[in-house]
Amino acid sequence: MKNDNIAQSYSNWQIFSLTFLRVLIGWHFLYEGFVKLFSSPSWSAESYLAGSVGPFAPVFKDIASDPAWLIVVNYLNIWGLILIGFSLFIGLFARPFKLFGIVLLSLYYLAYPPFAALVILTPVEGSYWIVNKNLIEMAALFVLFLFPTSGITGIDRYFQKKS
Amino acid sequence: MKNQSKNIFRRDFLKGLGAIPLLGFFTFKFRDVIAVEAKKKHKDYLRLLGIESLEAPKVRLLPSTGTGTNRIRIGLIGNGWRGDQLLQSFGFIHPNQVKENTVNGKYNEWLTTFLAQEDLNVEFAGVCDTFTLHANRGLEISMNDVRPGGGRGTTKPVKIYPTYREMIESKEIDAVVIATPDHWHAPIAIAAAKAGKHVFLEKPMTHSIEEAIELRNTIKSTGVVFQLGHENRQQMSFRIARELIQKGVLGTVSMIQTFTNRNGPYGAWIRKRKYDDQGNPDNINWKEFLGNTPWHEFDPKRYFNWHRFSEYGTGFTGNDFSHQYDCINQVMRVGIPESVVAMGGQYYYKNCGDMPDVLNAIFSYPKKGLTLTYDGTLKNGIYRENYIMGSEAAMYLDLGIKIFQDDYSERYKDNGMDSSEPLYLYTGGTEVDAVSSATARAYIKGGYGSTYIDGKVIDASFLHIKEWIDAIRNQTKTSCNIDEGFDEAVTFNLANLAYVNNKKVLWDPLAEKVTMV
Repeated sequence: MKNDNIAQSYSNWQIFSLTFLRVLIGWHFLYEGFVKLFSSPSWSAESYLAGSVGPFAPVFKDIASDPAWLIVVNYLNIWGLILIGFSLFIGLFARPFKLFGIVLLSLYYLAYPPFAALVILTPVEGSYWIVNKNLIEMAALFVLFLFPTSGITGIDRYFQKKS
Repeated sequence: MKNQSKNIFRRDFLKGLGAIPLLGFFTFKFRDVIAVEAKKKHKDYLRLLGIESLEAPKVRLLPSTGTGTNRIRIGLIGNGWRGDQLLQSFGFIHPNQVKENTVNGKYNEWLTTFLAQEDLNVEFAGVCDTFTLHANRGLEISMNDVRPGGGRGTTKPVKIYPTYREMIESKEIDAVVIATPDHWHAPIAIAAAKAGKHVFLEKPMTHSIEEAIELRNTIKSTGVVFQLGHENRQQMSFRIARELIQKGVLGTVSMIQTFTNRNGPYGAWIRKRKYDDQGNPDNINWKEFLGNTPWHEFDPKRYFNWHRFSEYGTGFTGNDFSHQYDCINQVMRVGIPESVVAMGGQYYYKNCGDMPDVLNAIFSYPKKGLTLTYDGTLKNGIYRENYIMGSEAAMYLDLGIKIFQDDYSERYKDNGMDSSEPLYLYTGGTEVDAVSSATARAYIKGGYGSTYIDGKVIDASFLHIKEWIDAIRNQTKTSCNIDEGFDEAVTFNLANLAYVNNKKVLWDPLAEKVTMV
């Protein structure tokens, strides 16, 4: 069954719960983006990237040490978070933005992968092994990608062809 | 009919705007919340402290000096538990450690990390120990080729010397590592330096002030490269703390507090290790162990728990305060105090030696306008960092750094920060795991385990030894050199004198003499 057709067979509670999940994730992204946008002194991913651990750490550290790259990465991160958040929140162009969200979260995941040997080296709250909140949010976005609601409870509704 | 379809259309139309009210709430409210959040989350610590940038974290690991044929031949004097650890830092481990850390034919994380350690290009050329089993263990370690650099196929059995005397006279040894009980530190280090051997000496430096003076004079006159084994000299948090204090972030420092809190026999240096049960007069050179101390019949307690006997050990202050003091001295350059008082007693662990269980010492520095205190108990294990208290802010210092501004600070009064929130935070890049014992955790958290440098977490003992080896090859300076060691040895020995004599002890820095009042 195609994704678009799945939406036709949702019950009201299914629509509600999927929409609720979409709005929650949208809220999270939007808020993270705005905090970074409005923080003073201006926010930078430098220390986050410089402290990264794991197999991809050299790549993230290289970005942190290059001022030009940092500007680009900071800009993409802040506006990525805001646009993804806004899109999920109101259900506008939600399909591609869910994928962008998964890509962004996967970068956060890879910068601080919760693998057993690295866990003790990284000062983070909570205890995680392989599964952390980033991975769960990625999985939730993937579910939303396969079970879309923006065509029912989002602005995307007005851009769809009437069946 | 028409109305009904109109209703359906309207309901349908509104469905698409379902999340808009929530977005409205978000938009209306988020600015208030975000003002607080943004400030809290992305504090520019250096700007709050009035500092442009810090130099210490930019330090990079030094390249290897052991690439050529300039192999240094090391002799280890005292291969007990610490000797074993030091050998590991040099790149030598026991074959059993390889077995224990190999699972299904594959090296585990610990062993892989060990093998990735820089090969210092040293030869483990000699070992001696008053306990035959310890010396033999050295031999077994020397035969293990699983080591950083792959051993380069040069594994050969280490030479076991009967005592340190034969070793320092040997032409096959370039440098010695001394990890004996404290009463042997100075005599061996002095003899080794006179024989032209470079010296790595475990802390505490000496058993008495007289020995400290003699050792310093000998090291200076012979010119050998000396490193005292305070590996916390390599700790990044202490380097950052030194820079912050030099830049005046704490204002005028009037008080420094240091602590030892341990609970239980292990923390009280009453320890039973793997080979202790096998020790007897046939395999322990008891006379050599006693050296110049008063004669006693063979007593395994004295031999294996020597820390607790003042004839051999240096007690609370030499064992643990020396670490805290060396932290403070490298950060603040306090030097030797003008006077010291100390009180305490042995109240709990009464059947082993004369070491106190509870000790308080006050080190006075009138010319510097500050007092350093040390509070130690072996009957309570709460963790406390070193506290450095200034007129503008207070610093909590261990593996990490926390700085809290003072409520009455002139310098920070306008920055809008709450004094309950740290003004500056450095976490050190390492977190202490939950598996280690309380004493081990305190040790790691105190900054004596690993440090974070050049984006890597590295064992501080390894860096400290590397510094010594590099200094021998390049004729550079070591960080815990004889002058630093002299400060340490005189300071803690003053406290021991004050405790034993129950008197205030004064230090005359010119005459280098002690008086008691």
